[in-house]
Amino acid sequence: MTVYSLLSKEWAKSLNSAVTEYKIYAPLVKSSSADYELITAETIAEVAYDCLLPVTPLKAFFFPIRENVVKKQGEEKRVIIGARNCDLVALSLLDAVFLDEDFVDPYYKNRRDNTIIIGSDCYAIKETCHCTTYGVEPYSEINFDLSLSFADEKMYIRVGTDRGRNFLDSLNISGRQEIDKLPEDILGKRENTRQLLAEQNKELPDREETKAIIAKTDDAFWQEYAKTCVSCGACSVICPTCHCFLLIDREKFEKIKQWDACQYPAFERVAAGEDPLKKLSKRLKNRYECKYIHKPGMFNVIACTGCGRCIEACIGKISKNEVIIAARNKD
Amino acid sequence: MHEKNIYKPIPFKLDKVETESPLIKTFFLTPEEDFHFKTGQFVEVTIDGIGEAPYTPSSSATVTDKMEITIMKAGYVTTKMHELKGGEILGIRGPYGKGYPLEKFHDKEVIILGGGVGIAPLRCLILTMMSEIERYQKINVCLGARTPADFIYKDWYPELGSNPKINLLRAVDKADETWQETEGVVTLLLGKLQTDFSSTVAVVCGPPIMMKFGTLKLLELGVKEENIYLSMEKNMSCGLGKCGHCALGDYFVCKDGPVFTYDEIKDYPDIWI
Repeated sequence: MTVYSLLSKEWAKSLNSAVTEYKIYAPLVKSSSADYELITAETIAEVAYDCLLPVTPLKAFFFPIRENVVKKQGEEKRVIIGARNCDLVALSLLDAVFLDEDFVDPYYKNRRDNTIIIGSDCYAIKETCHCTTYGVEPYSEINFDLSLSFADEKMYIRVGTDRGRNFLDSLNISGRQEIDKLPEDILGKRENTRQLLAEQNKELPDREETKAIIAKTDDAFWQEYAKTCVSCGACSVICPTCHCFLLIDREKFEKIKQWDACQYPAFERVAAGEDPLKKLSKRLKNRYECKYIHKPGMFNVIACTGCGRCIEACIGKISKNEVIIAARNKD
Repeated sequence: MHEKNIYKPIPFKLDKVETESPLIKTFFLTPEEDFHFKTGQFVEVTIDGIGEAPYTPSSSATVTDKMEITIMKAGYVTTKMHELKGGEILGIRGPYGKGYPLEKFHDKEVIILGGGVGIAPLRCLILTMMSEIERYQKINVCLGARTPADFIYKDWYPELGSNPKINLLRAVDKADETWQETEGVVTLLLGKLQTDFSSTVAVVCGPPIMMKFGTLKLLELGVKEENIYLSMEKNMSCGLGKCGHCALGDYFVCKDGPVFTYDEIKDYPDIWI
């Protein structure tokens, strides 16, 4: 993999011309949390490369909350800067679903084809981050065109795809130098992140163990958590791998594809009234089974990448990780 | 975008609607574009601006210029379907799912067990099999309904029963004075069959409770788990293995089914709900 070294200020300068050609989204920090915003020449300097995990999952760029899937879609050239590896790994599941060669979703594919993804390393973690527990590194491993590492005034860019290389070349960054490998200080910062994560999540079982733990749980176990769950679906909508949706009919045979979640009542109800997920406890269990048993079984992918957003988002204060630890300790 | 849009239905003209029973009607359709399907596959039917729902055609898969779908009034979209009179344009997506693996039924005796509106997809299967009837040893058709009036396709059975390779048995839960056949649950009919169950293939489609007890009876008679084909009813919405509503364990029923063998799904909880 090719690696370049450059000065951060030269990178920022190069984005000045890019914002006229592409819609560039990057994390800005507002009221203490980071989230992707459309970048303009005025906000390039505010881009937060070293921020915590952005609030919005990356999936929203490719699988929007709501879209008309019968009307024609334009081809918008986009660049996303600052995608984290938990979200990049999650894209593998969305790709498996929406780019399944039997039925390619043309709307999803159009967005994937026209979006350059620039990942970035994580040097700071949230108290809910737990990627490494599931074998996901805190730096771009997959599904990125370019990836950024940064230290003081310097930046290092790894090239993931030809598309990424072409974009980088088009930026004409002055002083860009090809180097053999990432420098020691970057590797040290990554190792530091790994250690922080390992310490923070030392009680948490890995994916294989979690799968076995979830498979053993009974309904009584989930009924305890059903007491505080309010079926708001926040855990699902904020999840980078949740892909369920509704099709809503509009006149002229148009259809609206809109995010849906297995946590909502009646998600699986059929016309005659039968509903395997009628009980809230079953819906809760279904979410964990989906992430740790069924999706890995169906697609051979990591379906929980340890981003921790569902823990932050829960109104009922149900921590997924505490649930898994409690289930293990119940044995 | 150059790819085919998987979400866009193709137009079908609704030629006429016939009433089968108090809650069930058959819709006679003509595709306005090229369309064909395999028996056991299903389609998503859109009423413009109202909603979309999955159904399995009830006409033979060998007929491609016409299609019939039999629908029970059960929820919002099916109620709207029942209000249609004929002449309307409907949207159809599909066909979806894997359908029945007919080649695995060749040279075998086949049991077809159905109840209520579950007879509709089985009619498609039976008609399709009848187009190559020489390929099958014998077809035992065991059908049930609540009352004689609840049987759909009333005019079809004399013709079906007269086919020498078809053994037609029917049961109603509640007989009236005209009923000459079996009274009782449809699974009673299985006990009347004279066959080597260990080499027989069985296809089951009907209400969940019938599917459950039908399958248990077939197993008890010695039909192998991998030879029992079940049509699973789920809330199929996209039909494409994407929207997630029809998840069943490691499967999406719409794409991996809707027909499964019993051994493929027996270990999942709540399959009969």
